[in-house]
Amino acid sequence: MSETVLDVRNLEAGYEPGVPIVRGASIIVRKSEIVVVLGPNGAGKSSFIKAIAGLVPITGGTVFLDGKDITAAPAHTMVRLGLAFVPQTENIFPLMSVEDNLKVACGILERREIPARIEEMYAAFPDLVRQRSTAAGNLSGGQRQMLAVARALIVHPKVLVLDEPSAGLSPKFVSMVFEMLAGIRKSGVTILLVEQNAKAALAIGDRAYVLVEGKDRHEGIASELWNDPVVAELYLGQRPSHAGKGGAA
Amino acid sequence: MSLQFVVDGLLTGSMIGLGAIGVTLTYSILRFSNFAHGDFMAWGTYATLAVVSAIGATFGKVAPIAPLSFGWPLLVALVIGMAFTAILALLLDKVLFSRLRSQGQAIIVVMASFGASMALRSLLEFTFTSRPTYFSRAIQIAMPVGFGIRITPDQIALLLLTAVLVLGVHLLMTRTQTGRSMQALSQNAALARIVGIDVASVVRVTWVIGGALACVAGVMIGILVQIRPFMGFDMLLPMFAAAILGGIGSIPGAVLGGLIIGLAEAGAVQLIGAEWRAAVSFIILMAVLFVRPIGLFGVRER
Ligand SMILES: Nc1ncnc2c1ncn2[C@@H]1O[C@H](COP(=O)(O)OP(=O)(O)OP(=O)(O)O)[C@@H](O)[C@H]1O
Ligand SMILES: [Mg+2]
Repeated sequence: MSETVLDVRNLEAGYEPGVPIVRGASIIVRKSEIVVVLGPNGAGKSSFIKAIAGLVPITGGTVFLDGKDITAAPAHTMVRLGLAFVPQTENIFPLMSVEDNLKVACGILERREIPARIEEMYAAFPDLVRQRSTAAGNLSGGQRQMLAVARALIVHPKVLVLDEPSAGLSPKFVSMVFEMLAGIRKSGVTILLVEQNAKAALAIGDRAYVLVEGKDRHEGIASELWNDPVVAELYLGQRPSHAGKGGAA
Repeated sequence: MSLQFVVDGLLTGSMIGLGAIGVTLTYSILRFSNFAHGDFMAWGTYATLAVVSAIGATFGKVAPIAPLSFGWPLLVALVIGMAFTAILALLLDKVLFSRLRSQGQAIIVVMASFGASMALRSLLEFTFTSRPTYFSRAIQIAMPVGFGIRITPDQIALLLLTAVLVLGVHLLMTRTQTGRSMQALSQNAALARIVGIDVASVVRVTWVIGGALACVAGVMIGILVQIRPFMGFDMLLPMFAAAILGGIGSIPGAVLGGLIIGLAEAGAVQLIGAEWRAAVSFIILMAVLFVRPIGLFGVRER
């Protein structure tokens, strides 16, 4: 079994003191894996990965990235530590051009490395090339997600963390996003993915966790979880894929 | 009607515009209206004046540079004054604004800036009295340049200086990583952190730019008009009107807004009398808020 990249142990986090949202959640993500986190609406999936990314105050537990304790690291240091995060909503700078959205994320790269790295992103996401000087706010939903992912990948992260990249997209874009993620993994990038679209996520994932009320309640091989009765039960009898359309961030 | 108002308007507009850059940056990046910005101008001007006097006391009388009314001491003093004003702004942020900002209520920060404004102004009055003073009492001869317009060498130099500074800030905002970080922070603070931007350091840059330009604007007023403790406070309304007219967050907008208000003020003075000068900013401000609240270069929030 390959080495552990992200190791989250008994994480507790919340927005206000005394109101824990994440209540002792633990997951492990190994090198070049796609790990999926499923769960009903309001289970705390977004809060969980936002806490990992340093955006929600952590009150207990630890987060290790490549063996290093990053539990207390401020959000802006995460890219340097190797964790790139793509939030569920508002994940681009709408008034900046596509190119500036990429450039602004290059703060930790060597200055002379940047132009080539941007071209590499355009090569990986050809849809963005024609739009390079368009304001990102004018992109279609699918293109926005591509830009957000490109922006996260540009810094060579050890792990790419995504919050519902398919939420709010039309079916055509949804399959495009999942194809893109499968392709990114093939290039060796480790991915932690939160999804409501359980079927599609489990199809590209290696392993998955089910998060309920802020705690990981079930774990398994992604391909086996789709027909796992425990998962259906945790979703309160709903089929996971129809458990919701993805609510507020 | 004489076209002289164009020169007067452009000069007033330059001062307003340089000040409005700071206003618009603080508003878009720190999300509050800094009513102490005018007093940064006054403090910067008095600091510059103090350095000019100190240089005069040390080196004796220095001859002005050819046609201008001032010599190298003022230029050196201006740079020192800009640094001083930047530090003043950083200091005020550290002891006052940043603490209140962390509580997350913008109105408290605005009120604090009002208090800081009064305190800063009173300190100036206390130290330097409210009597006007000047960088130089020499009268400059205005040169005719056609169309009934006359302009002094000082005025030409200051217009050029404004153009250079505005271009510099614009390039900084659009071409450098620092500028992109500032734009990013103004559009989405959480995402800015996610992409690795250290908010605290961008905030510091914002204060340095705003403070330094406030000082330049103040010194321009000092050279062309006079130096008074109220000189900056009196510019607040035109500066905010310019920032809002240009569209909050837009550097070119703030400058264009300043020039429009400067020209409108100068035109109004000539057409309907000097007592209407102050009303011009107010009328323009109201008109913008009614007709196009996002301003000329503003973009609707998502
Ligand atoms: N910024 C916030 N401040 C306070 N409470 C919040 C905040 N964001 C989320 N919460 C609360 O945290 C709980 C979990 O929300 P979270 O968004 O993490 O769930 P989720 O599993 O991502 O849901 P969804 O599937 O709808 O995206 C909810 O009860 C929500 O009200
Ligand atoms: Mg969510």
